[in-house]
This record gives sequence, C-alpha cells and structure tokens, in this order.
Amino acid sequence: MSAISELSTVHRVKAKTPEEKRLAAKEAGRDNKAGYLFLLPWLIGLIVITIGPMLASLYLSFTNYSLIQAPRWIGLENYGRMLTDERLHNSLKVTFIYVFVSTPLQLAVALAIALLLNEGMRGLAFYRSVFYLPSMLGASVAIAVLWRQMFEVDGLVNQVLRLLGFEATISWIGDPQWALWTIILLHVWTFGSPMVIFLAGLRQIPGMYYEAAAVDGAGWWVRFTNITLPLLSPIIFFNLVLQIINAFQAFTQAYVVSNGSGGPSDSTMFYTLYLYQKGFVQFQMGYASAMAWLLVVIIAAFTAINFWASKHWVFYGD
Amino acid sequence: MTDLDTRDATGARPITGPAPQEAIHHGPTWKDHARSAIKHVLLIAASLVMIYPLLWLIASSFRPNDVIFRSPGLWVSDLYRENYSQGWYALSNPFGQYIINSAIVVVGAIAGNLFACTLAAYAFARLQFRLRSLWFAIMLLTIMLPFHVVVVPQYIVFNQLGWVNTFVPLILPKFLATDAFFVFLMVQFIRGIPKELDEAARIDGCGHWKIFSRVMLPLMGPAIATTAIFTFIWTWSDFFTPLIYLTDPIAYTVPVALRSFLDATAGSNWGAMFAMSVVTLIPLFLVFLFGQRFLVKGIATTGGK
Amino acid sequence: MAINRRQFLIGAGGLAAAATTVGLAGCAPGSGGGTGSEGGGGGEGGTANLALAWWGNPTRNKNTQAMIDAYMKANSNVKITGQPGEFSSYWDKLATQTAGGTAPDIIQMDMAYIAEYGNRGALMDLKDVDVSKFVEGTVDSGKINDTLVGVNAGINTPLIFGNPKVFEKAKVDLPDDTTWTWDQMSEVAAEVASKSGVPFGLAAFFTSDQMFSAFLRQNGKELFNPDGLAFEPADAQAWFDLMVKFQKAKAIGTPQQISEEFNKPLDQGALVVGKAAMQHYHSNQLEAVNAASGEEMRLLRTPSLTGKATERKAWYKASMLWSVSAKTKSPEAAVAWINWFANDPAAADIEKAERGIPPNSELQEHVRPKLSPAQQTVAKHIADIKPELAPTPIAPPPGGGTLGQVMGRYQTDVLFGRASTADAAKKFVDEVKSNLQV
Repeated sequence: MSAISELSTVHRVKAKTPEEKRLAAKEAGRDNKAGYLFLLPWLIGLIVITIGPMLASLYLSFTNYSLIQAPRWIGLENYGRMLTDERLHNSLKVTFIYVFVSTPLQLAVALAIALLLNEGMRGLAFYRSVFYLPSMLGASVAIAVLWRQMFEVDGLVNQVLRLLGFEATISWIGDPQWALWTIILLHVWTFGSPMVIFLAGLRQIPGMYYEAAAVDGAGWWVRFTNITLPLLSPIIFFNLVLQIINAFQAFTQAYVVSNGSGGPSDSTMFYTLYLYQKGFVQFQMGYASAMAWLLVVIIAAFTAINFWASKHWVFYGD
Repeated sequence: MTDLDTRDATGARPITGPAPQEAIHHGPTWKDHARSAIKHVLLIAASLVMIYPLLWLIASSFRPNDVIFRSPGLWVSDLYRENYSQGWYALSNPFGQYIINSAIVVVGAIAGNLFACTLAAYAFARLQFRLRSLWFAIMLLTIMLPFHVVVVPQYIVFNQLGWVNTFVPLILPKFLATDAFFVFLMVQFIRGIPKELDEAARIDGCGHWKIFSRVMLPLMGPAIATTAIFTFIWTWSDFFTPLIYLTDPIAYTVPVALRSFLDATAGSNWGAMFAMSVVTLIPLFLVFLFGQRFLVKGIATTGGK
Repeated sequence: MAINRRQFLIGAGGLAAAATTVGLAGCAPGSGGGTGSEGGGGGEGGTANLALAWWGNPTRNKNTQAMIDAYMKANSNVKITGQPGEFSSYWDKLATQTAGGTAPDIIQMDMAYIAEYGNRGALMDLKDVDVSKFVEGTVDSGKINDTLVGVNAGINTPLIFGNPKVFEKAKVDLPDDTTWTWDQMSEVAAEVASKSGVPFGLAAFFTSDQMFSAFLRQNGKELFNPDGLAFEPADAQAWFDLMVKFQKAKAIGTPQQISEEFNKPLDQGALVVGKAAMQHYHSNQLEAVNAASGEEMRLLRTPSLTGKATERKAWYKASMLWSVSAKTKSPEAAVAWINWFANDPAAADIEKAERGIPPNSELQEHVRPKLSPAQQTVAKHIADIKPELAPTPIAPPPGGGTLGQVMGRYQTDVLFGRASTADAAKKFVDEVKSNLQV
C-alpha cells in the first residue's frame, strides 16, 4: 500500500538533523488526535473483541486443547507434528491450486463482465442482477446439493456432454482427480461480488477521459490500457488482495459440496476445512490453532508480496 | 483530476457508461446493431447458465420431496404448493419470525458497518497519525486469521459479558469495525478521490469532521452502497455465528432455521427448505435490485463545489 | 504521550488475552464457573431450570417439545428450555458451548461422540437412573470406564434394507436372510443389479464402519477394545479385498458411483431414489426410508460366514443416548427427566419409537400397539434377533469416532487404483491408531 511506503518515505527522507527529525515526526503525527478519534470504534473493537481471542488462539497453538478440558501446555509439539502431517501437506497443495487457479479466473471473468455491463445497453440492470445472483446463493446448502448432482457420473453436465457427442463417463464429483475442479468452477460461478466492486470502481472513472480519448480517435484497446486499467488499478488491487486472502481461507463451499468430508479421498480437503475438522471434529483445537497461525504467515507473506508489487502497477490519484 | 462536473455539464454523455464511437459517428450503423445483437445473445446464454441452479431451486420448491432428486429438469407438471404453506409453519415458529430476526440483525449490521468502517477508512486514507501503518497492518492481519480458531475464545469473551443468546454478538462487532474487509474497501475508494477536494474544503475552514461528512461521504456513494449490499448479503447468509450464539429457537435467523429442515440421518424436508430458501431470497434480490441504483449513481450527481 | 498510549493499548490487549485464557482454563470440569442452564440453577425446593439439547428434524422437534410440555405440566417445579438442532452443526455448537461452560443440562448424545465427552469428564455419572427394566445389552454401550454416562434413548441395529419392487423387476426372489452367506449376498446383489438395470445391487455397504464391525466380529475381532484398536491391518485388508471382489462381480456399482454415494444424506441415497436393490441402514430408519422412497422396504439381516443367522454376532446399538452435563446446576432434576423418559409410559406415548425402540422392555410392550406399521415391523425384528446377539461393542474411544470417514478415504483410493489393498489397509490402521493417541 502506498500509504505504508509513503510514511516510510517521510521517515527516510529526513532522519538527518534533529530539526528535520522533529519536523518529520510532527508531520507524521499532525493528525494524531483526529486520527485516533476516527479510529476509536475500530480500536475498541480490536481490543475487546478481536485481539484477545487472537492472542488466545496463538497461546492455544502451543497447547493440547480438546475444547472439553482445559488447555495443556505442550510447547512446539503441534508445530512439529505439522511438519510430518501428510494430510496437512495435501491440504496445502489443494488450497494452493485453488488459490492460484480460481482467483485469477474469477477476477478475469468478473472484470470482463463488468466492462461489458458498464457500457450503456438495454437490460443492464437485469443482467447485473442475474450475474450477481450466484454470489447470493453460492454458499447455500441447496446449491451445493444441486452442484453435486449436476456433476455426478449421470448428472446434467455429463448428459449435456453426451448430447454433444462426448463419451462422458467421469464422475466429476466422485473422482478424486476432478472433484476440486467442480469447486473451482463453483467459485468462478460466484464472480458477482468482485464484479459489483469492479462496476463501482468503473463508475468512479471520470467520463471526460474517455471523451477526450474518443475525440483523439483512440480505439477500444488503447482506452482500456491507458485509461481504464490505470484508473481502476486501486480496485483491481483491492479485489486481488482480498480474493487471495479469502481463497486461502475458503471453507464453506468445500464443506457443503463434500458434505464436510473433504473427499473424495481428501481431494477437496481445503486447509481451513482440515483445520475445522481437527478443531471441532477431532477435538484437537491446539493443533488447529497452530495450523491457523501457519496460514496467517502464508497469507501475510503473499499479501506483502502483493503490496510490494503494487508499487509498480497501482496508480493512486493522491 | 479537476472538474468532475464536466460529466453533468456535457449531459450528452449517457449516465450508464463511457460512450463508444457514438460520440463521433452520426447514429448507429448496422455493424453496431449486429455487435449489440451478438452481445445480447451471448449475455442471455450466459445468464441462463448462471441462473440455472436458481431456476432448479425454484422448480424443486414446487415438487414433493420424493420427486425432487429424481428430476434435474426445470419443467414442473403439477405445482405442489404445500412446500410453501406447510414449510411456513413446519418449525416451532412461523417462518416469518426467522425472517424478522434476520432483518433485525442485518439492519443492525449495516448500520454498524457504515458507521464504523467509514470512520476508520477516513483515518487510514487521509489522516497522518503515528503508527498508522502498524494499525493498518494489524487490521489486515485480522482478516487473515481463520475464524474457526477465534470462535471459541470469542464465545468465551461474550459469555463472560453475558451476551450469549442475544443478538448483541451478531451486531455489536459491526459497530466496532470488525469487518476489516469494508475498511480496506473504503480506503481504496477514498484514495481514488482527489486530494484537491480536501484542500479546497480545508481552505474554506473545514475541520476533519466537516471534510469527512460534507466532502468524503457524498463522494463515497459506490463504496457505501457496496458495503451496505455486501453486509446485507453476508449477514443474511451467515450461519455459524448465529448457530453458536442463539440457543432459543425463537431467536434463530434464517440460515439456522433453514438448516432445521435437514436431517441427514432420517430424511430432510428438502421441499420445504427449498421453498423457504426461495422466500428468503426475495429480500436479498430486491435489496440488490434496489441498491444497484446507488452503485450506478456514483459521482455523476455529486461533483465538486 | 505516544509511549503512554502504546503501553496502555498493549496492556489492554494483554489483559484481554489473559482474560480469555483464564476463561478457557476455568472451563475445566469441576473448576466452578460457567453457566449450565439459563436463569440460574435451582436449589432445594426451588424451580429447576434445565436446558435440553437434541438434534433432529421438524417431526422429532414437535415430539420432543410435546414431551417437554407434558413433563413440565406434571412437574411444576421444573422449567425446561429446548435447544433443537441439526445433526452436523449440533456437534460444533455443543463443543463451543462446552468450551465456554454453557453446555446444556440434558444432552442428546451419539455413540461416536460419547467417549470424547465422557472420557474427558464432561458428562455426569448417571447411576441414579433406573435402568433395571432395560433389555439386556442396551445399557453397557453408554458406559465409559465402567461409569454410566449415557442412557440408551432408543434401540436400533445395523442391517440391510431390500426393495421388493426391484427384486420383482429382476425376477429374483428376495434372499432368505437367516441363511445367507457373504458370498451369496454378492451373488444375489450382482444378479439383481444386472437383471433389473439398477447401478447398485448393494449400496453404501463397505464404507460403513458398522458393517466392518459386523465382519470383524464374525472373524473373532472387534473394532475397539478398552486398549484401543482391536483389529490388525490384515483384517482391514480382508475387508478391502472383499470389497474389490464384490465390485468386480458388479454387485456394488462402479468406483465412481460408490464414491458419489459416500456421505449422501438418507433421502438422496441410492435405495431411496430407486438406484439400488439393497442398501445398508439402521433399523430405526425404516420409516424415513419408506416415506422418502414411497416404497415399503424389507428388513434383511447381515449375512453370516456359516449360513446361520444365530452365528452372525449381531448387536443392539443405541441409536442415541441421553447424557447430563457434568457442570449442570440441577443434577437431580436432569436425572429425574431421564428417568421419566426411559421408564414412564406417558413419555413413551408421545415418543413412540421415533428415536428407536424403547430399551425398557415394559415400555416396549406398552407402546407396541400404538406404533405405525413400519415401526411395528422394526420392533418385531428387534425382538426376533435376540438369539443372534453377541456382546455389544464398546463405544469408540476418543479419536475413534471418525474411523468410518478414514476408512472411506482409503477405500476410495483402492477403488480408483491409487493404492493396493495391502498399502491402504496398513495406512488406514496407522492413521486410526494415531488418531486414538492424541
């Protein structure tokens, strides 16, 4: 985030004479009172509701905690077990595939449709609502049941494929090789949320730029790469960061489509699904907490990479 | 990045988007018609694929239970209306009770998010205060920790405060900006608003509060609308939090109530569950339909002073 | 200024963390604190407040609420609040409540979870519940470490349902389930499947830990004993080999179909939607299966090695049990309610056999004429198999309740050719053993 680099720039530029240091510190703190006042609700929430439980979960990661009995300190044992836990490694693999395939796919579709829908056209509101509907339903049990059925060996998808002449004998949902892809597809189907955010971002691009470009005879692609992309980049960045964070924590869709099992054969055992099973089904909440903090490290690393890379392609007006 | 009100001034520019070649050509050509037709065909095909599952859901809500899973098609020969009439009364309270509960929680959540997240976002995006980057990083960190490991400690906190079996744990956190997603969203939006507007207001003698309420908020229309819509939908479909905090069935929200129709060990009332799902989708859909307009308005009707 | 603020914030955060940790520690059983029931407990002669939690469906919810109302009417000094739920989310909620110290007083319990809670001291000793009239073999399954922590709320037994219509279509007679062997079961299943065109001659069978248990018992082993796992990889491999044999004989469907069936809820199961001739179920599910499928299913015993049903080592399972939280503030009232449920005809009149056949033999007789035809069939079957019983298996020890899921995963690997039966069996046993240790 440029704010972070901005702040560090302020700190970097000076740091010479005590006079400059004082001025820079004053600059950094000039809105102290207002800043903390505006931040107050969030700070209260952080301290009362969030920080305590977060630190508690960190503590729990060093314990053996069954939820039913009090936690028992075991030091780094949970973390050690994670190194040899094959199912955990598998869940990391499943999650990484999901994150790095479904996120770009979903965002690309969302952006494409948003661009399509941003132009004046008939039935715009209708299409927008239609494309957003799956996001509203996405995590529901009812849809998951249907999704399972559609991808069974004699389900709708195979029936359509057979009509088209393919010899469709694969059970997309029952075969460990393919089950993950049905969930990736489910995720891409719910592109409505990032699409809405893209639309909102597109709304904020002043029209005069496009008009000026049109006057200059610029074609669609030129407009897209020189106006839309740069001015939309803060929103693209936001969607990218948050969809990746969310994708790493994807739970509900895998849970409902696999009926909680992560099957077949752990092929849809996402990291947080495995975490949930360890914590709530196998009563190993200490281990689950350790898994959670490992995930935080992984997500933080990728988010930091995202932020660092953003300096090179995100264009902020301020 | 100066006069944003050229959009209003020209007027000729359609409100719904940047103008393609229409600005130069005199009226649409056959190529434009063809292009538009193809676009519509593709969009309609895509729409059908997108909403097929919803259509199946609606169709199934008109089928009796023993037929639902044998029929993947959309055509319903006899409309079986009992799923709706019986489903409404099948649980310990008429289903309307659960819709009201959800409505209370959702309205509270939206109010809370809009209040707290806008404030926090303004601070992060526009104010210079010490440790700003640290707090921002911590805020992002709170999104990164899977909630399953925080749920139990949070439950213990709320229990010691005596708030279990109330709506408080579902609503209060929103007033304390615990949905960092929206804080981050609004920060990105605010950063897209030119700083000259702030400067202009400050020259006019406005303090931070005035800048926030008179300048920022009106310009954040799309972000606010997005926050409201997403909060609505996510809170409406949230299952786990109401599950653990609400013990009295009369207080259940819609997702928990819908789950009561299911019994994997003895046979679920899928028809009633689908019927009630359709019923509860209607407010969601209406909110989005209605709220879209605010997404569209954007800064078209605002602009600088 | 800034330092003070920072110190304050860190201090506050630390305090909050400490508070939650103390809260966690304070939730150990026997260490006071926590609220078991809403509105405070009852003392001598005061009103007792009980929270009663169960999982079910709208029918069971109505029945149970009716029972609560009837009980409160007859006992004006007790107030019971019901907490109905749905099976899969019930356990998440119960775990959270137990961790937070707000576990309900009376808890509907399942055999897969009773050791998790019972072994860790979360359940009260139910020695004051009168189980004297319970049919033999129905009390011990609720005992953990020789302490009774769960009272059988309904008897069932694992078996097989057969669809007469499918057999008719195949022009095959329904098998004589008192004499059939495992091999004969495979032959019948394969024959019916091919002649009637249904995918499954026999569905959801090998992935069931109950059927595995039946197999083990006939081979002189068990699933669990008080020391842990009671079978060897060789036994698991025999089971997997049997599955492969059945599959090759086209008795149990294709690997894809078997994988899709795993974990399906009752009303989407193959037998219910007409895709199977036979499927494994528990006896108390007959009514639900009949209702969901629109057919009348036939109860079939599990096969035996020798062809004699009396040697198949069947057992009475507790479909669910009633337990009491160890931290309840009204132990006598909770026990009194369970006593009423288990022994009072008034309770049986409302409950009938919804949770299973009443284990109290007198109540069984009392309620028999009032049962629906399906439940009467079940009641008769439960009584008929008495000579075929062997000692009831013990409850899975902590970490053992997920054995069926683990097994299903390895079976999927075997079916899809990703592992040999020997490898899968060894890994399966290793994994269950490590689950038991934690």
